[in-house]
Amino acid sequence: MGRRGKQLVLGALGVAVLLALIAIPYRDPMSGDAPIAREDTVIFDLDRSIKNPRNFNWLTPGVKRLHGAHQAMWEPLFVLNYANGELEPWLGLSIESNASHDVWTLVLRQGVEWSDGEAFDADDVEFTARMLMDSDAISAREAIRFKAQVDDVEKIDSHTIQFRLKQPNPGFHIENFGVLNFSSFLVMPEHIWRGQTVGSFDFFPPIGTGPYTFSSATSQRAIWDRDDNWWGARAGFLELPAPKRLVWIETGGQENRAQLLRSNQLDAGQHLALGIFEAIQARNPNVVSWHDGFPYSWTDPCPRQLEINATVEPWDNPAMRKAIAHIVDRQQIIDIVYEGSTVPSKTMFVQYGAMQPFIDAVVDAGYELPTRANLEAAHAIIEDNGYSMGDDGTYVKDGVPLTTRILANTASAETTGTVDLLVEQLQRAGIDARSVPVEDGVFWGEVIPLGDYEMSYSWLSCGSVNEPWASMVRYTNNSMAPIGERAPGYNNTGRWDTDATDRYTAVVNRIGQLSLGDPQIPGLVAEAYRELDAETPFIPLVQAAKVLSFNETHWTGWPRANDFYVHPMHWWNSTHLIIHQLEKADGGP
Amino acid sequence: MSGGTTKAIPVEYLFNRLLTFFLTVFIAASIIWLIPRLSPIDPAEAMLGRMAAGAGFVENADQILADLRTQFGLDEPLWKQYLAYLKSLAVFDFGVSVANFPTPVAQMLAAALPWTIGLMIVSVVIAFIIGNAAGAFMAWQETPKTWKVVIPAAMIFTSIPPILSGLLLMWLFSAQLGWFPLTGSYGLFVTPGWNWEFIYSVIEHGALPALSIVVVTFGFWALGMRGLMTTVQSEDYVQLAKAKGLRPRYILYRYMIRNAILPQVTAFALKIGLLVTGQILVERIFSYNGMGKLIYDAILNQDFAVIQGASYVVILMTAASVLLVDLLYPFIDPRIRHGGGR
Amino acid sequence: MTATANTAMSKAEEREARRRAKRLKRFDSPWMNPKLLWGAGILIGILLFGFFGRLLWDPELVFIGSAPLNLPPLGFENLRGDGGSTAHPLGTQSSGRDILALLIVGAPNTLFIGVIASLIGMAIGIVLGFSAGFIGGRTDDVIRVIADVMITIPPLMVLIVFQTSIGEIGIVMMGVLLSGFMWQSPTRLIRAQVLSMRESGYVRMARLSGASTFDIMFKEMLPNLVPYLFGSFIAIATTAIVTAVGLETLGLGPQRVPTLGRVIYEAIDSAALLRNMWWWWGIPTALLATMFIGLLLVNLGLDEVANPKLRKV
Repeated sequence: MGRRGKQLVLGALGVAVLLALIAIPYRDPMSGDAPIAREDTVIFDLDRSIKNPRNFNWLTPGVKRLHGAHQAMWEPLFVLNYANGELEPWLGLSIESNASHDVWTLVLRQGVEWSDGEAFDADDVEFTARMLMDSDAISAREAIRFKAQVDDVEKIDSHTIQFRLKQPNPGFHIENFGVLNFSSFLVMPEHIWRGQTVGSFDFFPPIGTGPYTFSSATSQRAIWDRDDNWWGARAGFLELPAPKRLVWIETGGQENRAQLLRSNQLDAGQHLALGIFEAIQARNPNVVSWHDGFPYSWTDPCPRQLEINATVEPWDNPAMRKAIAHIVDRQQIIDIVYEGSTVPSKTMFVQYGAMQPFIDAVVDAGYELPTRANLEAAHAIIEDNGYSMGDDGTYVKDGVPLTTRILANTASAETTGTVDLLVEQLQRAGIDARSVPVEDGVFWGEVIPLGDYEMSYSWLSCGSVNEPWASMVRYTNNSMAPIGERAPGYNNTGRWDTDATDRYTAVVNRIGQLSLGDPQIPGLVAEAYRELDAETPFIPLVQAAKVLSFNETHWTGWPRANDFYVHPMHWWNSTHLIIHQLEKADGGP
Repeated sequence: MSGGTTKAIPVEYLFNRLLTFFLTVFIAASIIWLIPRLSPIDPAEAMLGRMAAGAGFVENADQILADLRTQFGLDEPLWKQYLAYLKSLAVFDFGVSVANFPTPVAQMLAAALPWTIGLMIVSVVIAFIIGNAAGAFMAWQETPKTWKVVIPAAMIFTSIPPILSGLLLMWLFSAQLGWFPLTGSYGLFVTPGWNWEFIYSVIEHGALPALSIVVVTFGFWALGMRGLMTTVQSEDYVQLAKAKGLRPRYILYRYMIRNAILPQVTAFALKIGLLVTGQILVERIFSYNGMGKLIYDAILNQDFAVIQGASYVVILMTAASVLLVDLLYPFIDPRIRHGGGR
Repeated sequence: MTATANTAMSKAEEREARRRAKRLKRFDSPWMNPKLLWGAGILIGILLFGFFGRLLWDPELVFIGSAPLNLPPLGFENLRGDGGSTAHPLGTQSSGRDILALLIVGAPNTLFIGVIASLIGMAIGIVLGFSAGFIGGRTDDVIRVIADVMITIPPLMVLIVFQTSIGEIGIVMMGVLLSGFMWQSPTRLIRAQVLSMRESGYVRMARLSGASTFDIMFKEMLPNLVPYLFGSFIAIATTAIVTAVGLETLGLGPQRVPTLGRVIYEAIDSAALLRNMWWWWGIPTALLATMFIGLLLVNLGLDEVANPKLRKV
């Protein structure tokens, strides 16, 4: 009997081991895809997971575009090329306005086809435009911006569409159709979308006009295969791109990203801390960045800043916000978080050459942001407002300590690093600050648009790259939503709405009426900036340096400082320009 | 051996053990439920709020949220919420993840568990074999002197948590020598399934996490084995065998190890439960796809439902392994009877 | 002459004999076994390091940005080829914290968490263990079952739930929370010992002479349990520290106050392994390992005190 017991035990153990082995999940994304050699595949970095791999309705929130959809499948109408400042035609051929900038005429390229063979024409553009204008269910920033500006759309002929704006806007074409920032107006196929409910349609499987078609996606990766029947090659627009397959994988953190780059399993990587990049390059010289040497980095068009909720005590008091601005030490953020690879923000704007006149105007008016902290000034303001320093080094007023909570999006180490440092700076200045990690989806889906925060770290004055209006308009009270309702387009999420805001809005709206390059603009920028300086609705921190990595083991032709044909953000809609430039590396392993 | 004719588990003993098991799980589940209620903000409620805000884009999101609301019964009295919670735990329904809305937590746990269990079985089995061999070797009189010094010196590792040995191994074999991948549980570009590429990749990725557990645990077995061997050595039957002039090696295998190994097997099952939490930390540093990574990601994302579910499952595993030991022990060791004092 | 020489001789002999006796005595005392001494030496060394370190080194250097970044220890080079600096002899990490200062502040904090958890756990364990063993009956049943049940619940998991729902906690709070999982094994141990001692001669004597239960428990029985108590104390302190380090390496636990686990967490999080900044994770790891070895040695030494049989091995 004892022997039988033993056998029973051994049997049970054996079964358990077998079960454990069988249970290892082998549900596979790649299965069903024909094998394509690594040499023919380009692997891009995705810095977040794809929560809805079977949903391609980009008008609703979620990762619906940057996993390849708008880099490989959906093509833009135009691309504002940061390299030369020109608006390069893509699906569009030309776009022009009338003299008063309130009627714009778009002409489409001939011969464009959807990947299912249907023709791409003015009907698709008109349909998409009307869908955006008529729907309340959309939340993508590009869609909301378009909806806010356009009054009516009219098809002139099969390749010409006219847009009538609610207000004159000299920058309409760049803002909406030019991939100004991350993405733009993406045209959807009318023959598939017609009759669908905009808010709930999943658009699966998706189609586009691009040279790659959707193959498969899981929460960790999306695969796109080349469509050798692409319209562009047939129409003589461009040759087929060289890679047969594009893959976006969720790398999950800098360490994995670095490891994949080092072992040539990743061709285009997102941001790495400078020290990590240097360590990788020391081991794998094929891994390169924007510059060949220090500081390696590319300046992202979205400068970093601290957002403050102007409706929450005590930060509803402009003086207290100013105190925070005095406490912030920009140089320390650069030294520590960016390891010296970027520069402090002088104003709210990105420090590109084209922005220089406006930055100069603000600086000349005396509103330049300091590099270093001014703690005396901060202490003086806080004490003026009735606080006194407690025994534990924290300010107290009526027995209540001065506290704040800064929300940090957990998606990137840069964010959490900066917030940790801001917390440290505020703590040392006597404010009991805490960092609160918030998941990416919740951060952008809820707390930011609803204004459900005290302070948060983000890049919400992003927008301008060659003119000042796109950034400045985001802090006007043109379309204020109360706390708890969604701020349209993530604009003025801190709900800054005072008399100063009215004055600011009036000036910014005037800027919006002027043509690009109008000599009045710098002066008006300085005038509007006076209100920002006085009330500090947000605190610009530093220029965002991105150490993007490209691996030249398998593919060359990446955009770099010495080969600056387009800006290098490979998660943007402008990536279409990059994929056509890639070439197989000779003698790769 | 001891003439026991029946080996059926006495009902009373079985009942007692099962009661302890269920009591353990029940108390642990209650603690997990109670803790969040001590906080001014109820994460369950906060979680639902967040999901509702981010859910506009999910099909049937309203339905899912409404279901969750009834399940949590947020407007019901606390005792009703508690009962609903216990009921949902019983069917492994932990709600849905915030960070991966609307993926059910149970589904995420089911994907992570096999990795954790697989890694655990492999590392514990290896440690058990090496440790017992070392322990027996140490206590055996014929072992060369040098070994008797080397093996106890290795014992010092026993005191170190596996996360520290893991770091050291990671640095040496991955970061410096590049022999093994730094993180992950299989290559990004292999196709999971029954193919050699995948199996090789899994072994390659699992080697270091397993090794970091082995180096700090085998000493535990060795120490135990040495003690048992010392005891066994002085037993009559061993002395008798020696007097009979049997070969020392034969005595070692046939008489000593065979008798000393039994109590070790018990300790083995017990240790499985205790190892889980240590291993979770190892998985976290290696970004191994198991529970460790799941929990770590959930902490980062403030994904409370996942944390709660994962904690519950780990506690369940620990309690189950203890129960298993209690029930199996008498089968393995004939000297012990169910319910008898040991 | 000879007499004086003789007395001198005998005095010298006497002294020698006394010294020998002392030495013998020292080796005879079970408390003076080398494992215990070494272990205690290591732990006291770490405490002294923390104590004098604070006097000799600037503890403010643990804060972000208080030192240059990524400096290697003296005599080494980092990836950029910078050498170490005497201002930061053990190097610095990537947000400008000084490693030496982190160790000085962090190591005692880590030990402290263990000591708090252990002290409270022991106190609970002594009370419950004695009650169970001495009073017996229903009390015993209840305590035994609860201890059996609680011992299988892994503290790490419950603390993760606690931290994520309640938020950040301090060092003392962490110790207190941990103690909720540290009383079970002393309770079981003491209960077993009390049960066997209850029937021994001297306890019966005491009971016959009319001593109160309290007196018997704490005046007669407790002193005999001291070696067990110490052993148990060290064992649960080790468990508490392992759990605390585990929590810290998950990024939970105290945030601004450095602990060794937190230092390791930040090192992993900032890819110190890839950056080849071994001093960042390696030195705290080594210190933690030393701490655990010290605890192990103390524990083994105390085992020898409690079980004289082991001493011969």
